[in-house]
Amino acid sequence: MPRCHSRRHVVPSRIALLGVALLSVAVVARGDEAPRLTFAQLAESIRANFDVTQQMKSYAGKEVEIHGFIIPAGPPDLSFFLLSRVSALGNYCCEVPVGQDETVYVFGAKGVKLPFDPLRVYRVRGVFEVGKQVDRAYGVSMFRIRDARVEHAVGAKIFKVGETPAPVSKP
Amino acid sequence: MTLGTVALRHLQERLVANVLTVVSIALGVGLVIASALLTRGVKETFVEGTTDYGLVVGAKGSPTQLVLNVVFRMDSPTPNILLPTYAELAGDERVELAVPVAMGDAFQGFRYVATTPAYFAAFRWRRTTFTMAAGRLFRDDPAGSPTYEAVLGAEAARHTGLRLGDRFYEGEEMAEYPLTVVGILRPTRSADDRAIFFSLPSYWEMNELARQVQIKPLTAVLVRTKRMSDLPALHRELNVSAKTQAAFPSTILLAIFNLLGLAEEILTVILAIVAIVVVSYLFVSMYRSTFERRREIATMRALGAPRAAILRIVLLDAAVLSTIGAAAGLLAGHAVAYVGAQLLAARVGVVMDPFALGLLQPVVFGGVVLVGTLAGLLPAMRAYRVEVAENLAPLS
Repeated sequence: MPRCHSRRHVVPSRIALLGVALLSVAVVARGDEAPRLTFAQLAESIRANFDVTQQMKSYAGKEVEIHGFIIPAGPPDLSFFLLSRVSALGNYCCEVPVGQDETVYVFGAKGVKLPFDPLRVYRVRGVFEVGKQVDRAYGVSMFRIRDARVEHAVGAKIFKVGETPAPVSKP
Repeated sequence: MTLGTVALRHLQERLVANVLTVVSIALGVGLVIASALLTRGVKETFVEGTTDYGLVVGAKGSPTQLVLNVVFRMDSPTPNILLPTYAELAGDERVELAVPVAMGDAFQGFRYVATTPAYFAAFRWRRTTFTMAAGRLFRDDPAGSPTYEAVLGAEAARHTGLRLGDRFYEGEEMAEYPLTVVGILRPTRSADDRAIFFSLPSYWEMNELARQVQIKPLTAVLVRTKRMSDLPALHRELNVSAKTQAAFPSTILLAIFNLLGLAEEILTVILAIVAIVVVSYLFVSMYRSTFERRREIATMRALGAPRAAILRIVLLDAAVLSTIGAAAGLLAGHAVAYVGAQLLAARVGVVMDPFALGLLQPVVFGGVVLVGTLAGLLPAMRAYRVEVAENLAPLS
């Protein structure tokens, strides 16, 4: 987390805001539950030749939680789908689609009972895998979650009238 | 005389009322079974019959129409895209495989689908496998020299009765260039079973008008990317373009399932009401019959039948009625689902299994017998409490 705080001095303020917003949600993660990874953390962890940082590798094999948009690139029972930072099915003005660095391949989600909404953020929990792997049906991937459970995410924090969004918003 | 024979006698005495009770239980159970089998079957068929390709690319318009038409051969085709769009996609470095598809008219209601042999090729990532029941695939003929060879889906071949070597056409316009059957596919349990396939050059040369078109048209391109994670970017590029749109087939199906889900919820409420009505009917019927038989019960008690035996006879009556009703309902429900499946297969090509066995049947059967027997509990209690002296008093 401290690494992200230091970013605000070198990146444009909007990205800093986004980063802080993501971070603040990440920090709120409850102690006894699976650690939450953000897409920013995933993207930053990537090194040359399909390698990732040791810190990211330390999550491998453990239960994690990632919040993102579901892109149903697999069968309609959602036994496989892509989890992405941006929706692929929103409008076409505001977000640029992301590539492999910010896409999590979600396998083995069973009995996804929630009605699928392309514009909602879902919370996906499962066993995290990292590093290059080639799946017979879905090809090469970098980040994977297996035995996934899907829920609606709580959503972004709502700042009530008079509440200051974040102390770092004015650099 | 055992308890069972006494119970059966009772049932025989009020035959008409009891038959009506059984019929109403059977109708209720049949309705539940048929609607559950049909809604689940339709959904599973869509899941099973969907394409292995991640993206369907077509002309601007409704993505639902594009996917329903290209993958399930429902609805009418979206407008044409041009052949260069396919060339661009096939040449894109992110794309592993692009398969062009053009939707044509139909022969006896079986849709013409023009494509390349790649459509039928087996790949490691494909779930669907195409195998020939007879003959071979159509030749990959070059543009301008069509062979007019056709490959029939299993259902199309069975229904039309066409065999290898047969030549066919529909409509005067095509009389000059009839298609020749060169192959018949094995069933795939998808909409491809109801299609008639041939090559794109044959499609482009089917009539004078098509022949004069300089830049050849297509309906859609099926796309498989090398990396799944490139799909969102490609999807966006194709949708931002003024000429094309791209759709994830599963997104469309999930949207349809969401709508179906709403209908299912309403149906569940209706079925719950039906269940309540049926149980109340059983209850009223049992209650009435106990009331009518109170003299008889009093006689049995006077002759030495214990209260518990009376209780058991009435409960047994209710159990027998609900068991017969539930069994008849299961049969009727499957029969209705079978007819529904046939109708769906004929109308929209959705081939579903109307006899899918699962938890549904035992749960419904057990539930009906249990609830039906419980409905007999109150009348049974009433019978249990029948006072001998009161009910054996002279009637007038």
